[in-house]
Amino acid sequence: MGLIDLSRTTSRRALLASSFAGAAGLALSSCARGTLSRPAPADVLSLFSDNPSWNSGFQDAGRQLSRLSGYRLAPQGVPNVSNYQQIVRMSAQTDSTADLIKWWNGYRLRDVARAGILADVTAAWDEADRRGWCRDPALRASFTSDGRQYGVPLYKSYYAVFYSKPLFARLGVDVPTTWQEFLHIVDTAHARHITPIAAGGATSWESSIWFQQLVNGLDHDFYLDLTAGKRSYTDVPCRQAMEVWSDLYRRGAFSSPDVSVSDLPGRFTQGRTAMCLYGTWNTGALLDAGLKNADLGAFLLPPPPGGNRSVVVESGVLAVSANAHKRQAAEATARAWLDPSVQRAWTGFLRDTSADPSVVPDVGAVREVVAQVQKEHVPQAVRYWEASPPVLIEGNVQDLSAFMIDPTPSQAAKTVASMQRRAEKEWKAWKS
Amino acid sequence: MEVLTTGTKAVVTRTANRRSEGPVRAPRQGGVRRAVWVGAFLAPAVALVAALLVVPFAVTAYRSLFDDNGITARFVGLANYRSLLTDPDFGRSLLNTVMWVVGTLVLPVLLGLLLAVLTHSVRWGAVARTAVVIPYALSGSATALLWTYLLKSDGAVNQTLSAVGLGGWQQDWLLHWPLNTVVMIVATTWQSTGAALLLFLIGLQTIPAETIEAARIDGAQGLQMFLKVIVPQLRPMTVVVVGMSIVNSLKTFDIVWLLTQGGPGTASETLALTMYRQTFTLNRYGYGAAVSVVLTAVVVAASWLYLRRQVQPQRGGAA
Repeated sequence: MGLIDLSRTTSRRALLASSFAGAAGLALSSCARGTLSRPAPADVLSLFSDNPSWNSGFQDAGRQLSRLSGYRLAPQGVPNVSNYQQIVRMSAQTDSTADLIKWWNGYRLRDVARAGILADVTAAWDEADRRGWCRDPALRASFTSDGRQYGVPLYKSYYAVFYSKPLFARLGVDVPTTWQEFLHIVDTAHARHITPIAAGGATSWESSIWFQQLVNGLDHDFYLDLTAGKRSYTDVPCRQAMEVWSDLYRRGAFSSPDVSVSDLPGRFTQGRTAMCLYGTWNTGALLDAGLKNADLGAFLLPPPPGGNRSVVVESGVLAVSANAHKRQAAEATARAWLDPSVQRAWTGFLRDTSADPSVVPDVGAVREVVAQVQKEHVPQAVRYWEASPPVLIEGNVQDLSAFMIDPTPSQAAKTVASMQRRAEKEWKAWKS
Repeated sequence: MEVLTTGTKAVVTRTANRRSEGPVRAPRQGGVRRAVWVGAFLAPAVALVAALLVVPFAVTAYRSLFDDNGITARFVGLANYRSLLTDPDFGRSLLNTVMWVVGTLVLPVLLGLLLAVLTHSVRWGAVARTAVVIPYALSGSATALLWTYLLKSDGAVNQTLSAVGLGGWQQDWLLHWPLNTVVMIVATTWQSTGAALLLFLIGLQTIPAETIEAARIDGAQGLQMFLKVIVPQLRPMTVVVVGMSIVNSLKTFDIVWLLTQGGPGTASETLALTMYRQTFTLNRYGYGAAVSVVLTAVVVAASWLYLRRQVQPQRGGAA
């Protein structure tokens, strides 16, 4: 055993002293104040989001914002949604918070707004309305808590069926205008051993996509009442939606429920899958993954028999922290966010739709959806994920995931009964 | 091993001190100085345990008495614990955790023992051992990613089965309970057997050659040699391996989170996942704290009961 001769290089005392100094240094550095505990530099506003890949888009939008409000954006992204929520919930109560925060609308916004961690930005909505940038009462309602607005729309996505244009041509089918035509495409693809629809959700929120689509498609008003806690999950329209969903599974319409949307570009390119119902916010990711703009199409799903045409929308929130270091500047930026020049820069990056209907990115699939929405004056409903209290939604989404594994009529009955039991409990908790 | 030796020495020292207490009395000043020195050496460890374990546990236990959404909190007493008892998801989570404990006790420990004995003294043993140990060097998330590609419905396992004409054997491996929990235990076994193997190899090297030789002269061989001589000699190392397996399985999180996220629904959740979901997904900090208190109680109770039974001072040896 060759022992190291410390006396030749350094004394034991020096070694111990430097070790203690190092440990003390580490301990002290862990107590240091973070960058968010100080105001951002002069003309900069800090912005917190759960999506680091959006940073360059925020910088593009920030360059336009600096002309209007005098402030540009310094985005910081936390890639994990759960971690992000914890950080915002904790930091927004302290002086160590960002000026601007990305959040979710509907009940998720109300959940934090009523706790007082967000600033009132009603003036931004008033200005957008006055200037004609956004006159959308339904969308505005989903940003409202106790009659005031607590964020401006980051984007406005529609849930539409993406499809592979080359594959549709190969199958000899066209964009469906009725439910029967849609079923014909499903049957044609299935007969050719092509997965008609990619639909994941075995372990994720995506299990709510087809549920919200079918309930809203069958009875739009019922969907609004159901998500507001005024109707029961065991009522007829809900049970009917589960029957239609179950029937689609029987027809072989869907992929295995553990499919991932990130596999979609490959599946479309290889001709293995024909369609996928998803939010238009995913368009950029699909194109970045190699799908060609010319090969990607999108349409609104026709309503099932007895239903009416309607579309599910989703909107992110740009909120101002109540404890923001530069609260006035952040509020001015929120007022300027919906300016068309900012929206063009932002949606050009995102390749999704803006809350301002006049701003549409130059992407074929998105333009097709927007044109259909505007032409048919389609009623809109807030996405299920944000449409009811978060704890209720999270639990029900898990029930829907379990249904996707065993999509039988008996499991459907159990699923709606379980969802209703949870609804009764969680609405009571929400209102208490 | 070290604990036993130290404990034995302590027993001997205490007995010796007691015998010599009457005639020779140690000077009081020396005793105080010794106590100060002992305290000084113990203080860093005690402070670390207090700061990193005891205080957080006390805070968590206190928090479990509140209905807390991360922004506002309301005292509710033991209501979170009462909710736990009536929550069917918690029952399933407890059952899954028991499956993990049994599965990871049976598979990695037995396989590690068998592989260590079988490869200990054979010519190409090192190659076999390396193959088993390599997965242990992978991180939990890398392992989970690999097994996701294998076990997805259109993953490598099902594609291979289809390619070799065994399409009828294809399964939705991760979508149905209890199959998903079983295959995740198998995935964990693949990764963790290497650790058990290494520890058992160390144990095998500590068995005196004379003991084996004596047993051989007495006619012991094969299975008899393994069961009657090697296994009893490996007892101290088995205590360590089994103890580590129990604690690791009770806090199983990463592989389940990455493979199924506890789903479909909550079908494959373990206690650690339930704690995470309640706290960080549902923002029910009080309820999540209650789950973590229960989990801590289970881990401590299981470890204490097991070690109390297995690790006893060797009084006979000290006499």
